[in-house]
Amino acid sequence: MATIALPVEEKKKYEQEALITGAEAIAVACKLANVDVVTAYPIRPYDTVMQYISQLKADGEMDCEYIVAEGEHSQFEIVKHASVCGARVFCGSSGVGWMYAMEALTVTPALRVPMVAMVGNRALDDPGAFGVEHNDALAVRDLGWLLNWVDSAQEALDTALIAYRVAEDPRMFVPCAISCDGAFLTHSQALVNIPTQEQVKQFLPPYKRGDLLLHPDNVISVAPQVNEDWVMEVRRQNYEVTERACGVIREVYADFERIFGRKYGNPFFEEYMTEDAEVVLLGMGTLSTPTRVAIRKMREQGKKVGFVRLRWFRPFAGVELAKCLERFKAIGVIDRDFSFGSPNLSGVVATEVRSAMYTGAATRPPVLGFICGLGGREVLVQDVEHMTDITFQAAKGKAQPLTQWIGLRG
Amino acid sequence: MNDFINSVENPVERFLRTDRMPHIWCPGCGIGTTVNCFARALIESKIDLQSLALVSGIGCTGRVAGYVKLDSFHTTHGRAIPFATGLKLANPKLNVVVYSGDGDLSAIGGNHLIHAARRNIDLKVICVNNLIYAMTGGQTAPTTPGHAITSTAPYGSYEPAFNLPHLVEAAGAVYVARWTTFHVRQLARSIAEVFQKKGFGFIEVISPCPTLYQRRNRLGDGLDTMKYYKEKSKVRHGAPTNEVGLTMTGEIIVGKFVDRDRPDYQTLMRTQLSESLGERFVESAEMVCS
Repeated sequence: MATIALPVEEKKKYEQEALITGAEAIAVACKLANVDVVTAYPIRPYDTVMQYISQLKADGEMDCEYIVAEGEHSQFEIVKHASVCGARVFCGSSGVGWMYAMEALTVTPALRVPMVAMVGNRALDDPGAFGVEHNDALAVRDLGWLLNWVDSAQEALDTALIAYRVAEDPRMFVPCAISCDGAFLTHSQALVNIPTQEQVKQFLPPYKRGDLLLHPDNVISVAPQVNEDWVMEVRRQNYEVTERACGVIREVYADFERIFGRKYGNPFFEEYMTEDAEVVLLGMGTLSTPTRVAIRKMREQGKKVGFVRLRWFRPFAGVELAKCLERFKAIGVIDRDFSFGSPNLSGVVATEVRSAMYTGAATRPPVLGFICGLGGREVLVQDVEHMTDITFQAAKGKAQPLTQWIGLRG
Repeated sequence: MNDFINSVENPVERFLRTDRMPHIWCPGCGIGTTVNCFARALIESKIDLQSLALVSGIGCTGRVAGYVKLDSFHTTHGRAIPFATGLKLANPKLNVVVYSGDGDLSAIGGNHLIHAARRNIDLKVICVNNLIYAMTGGQTAPTTPGHAITSTAPYGSYEPAFNLPHLVEAAGAVYVARWTTFHVRQLARSIAEVFQKKGFGFIEVISPCPTLYQRRNRLGDGLDTMKYYKEKSKVRHGAPTNEVGLTMTGEIIVGKFVDRDRPDYQTLMRTQLSESLGERFVESAEMVCS
């Protein structure tokens, strides 16, 4: 959990408390970040953000260009080009809407466009569902996008500001998507500390595109066809961005803490009750809430279990995570996604964790994969207890299937 | 017809998947009315239900595909027309109906709409136009009239709206009509009539969304909207479509605007290939599984 560094009285001078949803928190962050161009196309659950932003603009609280495009593809194309012209941009979508924009999403990191997008995670069709699943945002995991998952409205607001700072850092210039679990976060209200404009000004400098700015005074061609002559070198540039990414993110979180007083500790993952834990569960997004509740309950029963919540999926802080996880006797990864046909038929996160452990960990504890909470199905406390029991069995040396579906109807 | 009138059951019930009821549409919504008219048109036109397929996109109207007891497909957003095109090409004997909303057909699927009309593919499009994106919370759509308040235009929409009959006529549709959900008999008749046409037919149905459009614009409820449709609608068959654009509270020109003939896509294909290939052109009439 984020802790407040400043005394309450001191904090009040700077921040205001408001009861807002995760989607509203992102809209407020866009206002504070003084975003220039916003595009939108309605799809649940992302559409709540577009409504809040249009309200902020209509009320005169936010000064931005705002257009409801005719589809997600055009929506992402419009902001991409606005960003090339030096505008700070915001966009987003959910589920199949995000997938429909895939061509634009593909070229955005390759063109070094620091777009910030919000993904209100939603199950892909078919069959249709409005509930959360992480496969939408994960679809761009190999393309150069920065990807993170937040689990509270406060973290959504803070991470949106952090995302602009990271994405627009001249060492980066790549897009960043903030994933908010549909309904559980996008539509749930919580008390959020809203920083002042002054603080944000101090934290987030204006977006400067330098030599890459498309402007009559700076004659450049954007996205020329280069064929085999240069494609590999262009890809290498994106690769080098990912080499630098962890360092930049660490710097930005340190600065965030200095200016806003909220501490996030390790930017890449958060540990909960892991100090003396024998086994841990690991997951992303709002499944952290039932997991924490279950862990507190199991702790009362004497079970030494902890939880690691992954915040940044891209870059994946593999070495650090492996060093963290090597001390436990077994790890249970909860995937709110699927990766059909993957090694061990596990979810995306479990596969990545195993890969990181193989090269980065001194020990080789079992890494179990659990597929749970798809299509908006709730991850229940009893599900977490069940997964913990299985993980304990593995810790005792009793072999367990590497992938199990939890909460599946019979 | 008499059999139906005398029957105890509602005559349209046999076209509905009653196990899927209650439906998702709000009180006062017009989509259910259009389904009723559609079912009555099926009765009137005595169309063979085995040769009928209904395709819809995403949105409130998109849900029609799930409620009718017909071969139906709920496609991806905006893609009802490409899907229907595939159906028609694979099995030209099918009567293919596209039943979707204004957002699905003219925004995200707008390109398909104009190209299907240009090719004159033999599809019948029923476009329920409630003037906004209703399912997602009432955002401005390409059909939203100027000044109307939406969730993305709290102080009024300022984008010019599509005049859909004008658009599809210009693109090449052979049959274009517009009715409101007040004009139930005319609508049913129009749907029955479009089945008789070969080529791309388009029927726009103006429909209320009391939850999101009428409420935000203080236009009353579903009943008030019916009164508005009754008072402000003018039947003008053959009206030039450039004169039938909609405003928020003004006149609604309804009627059959276009009824013309031109060769449909498959006829053109046959003609061209016969000309070029002569005897070598052999039509594979049975290429489809029946």
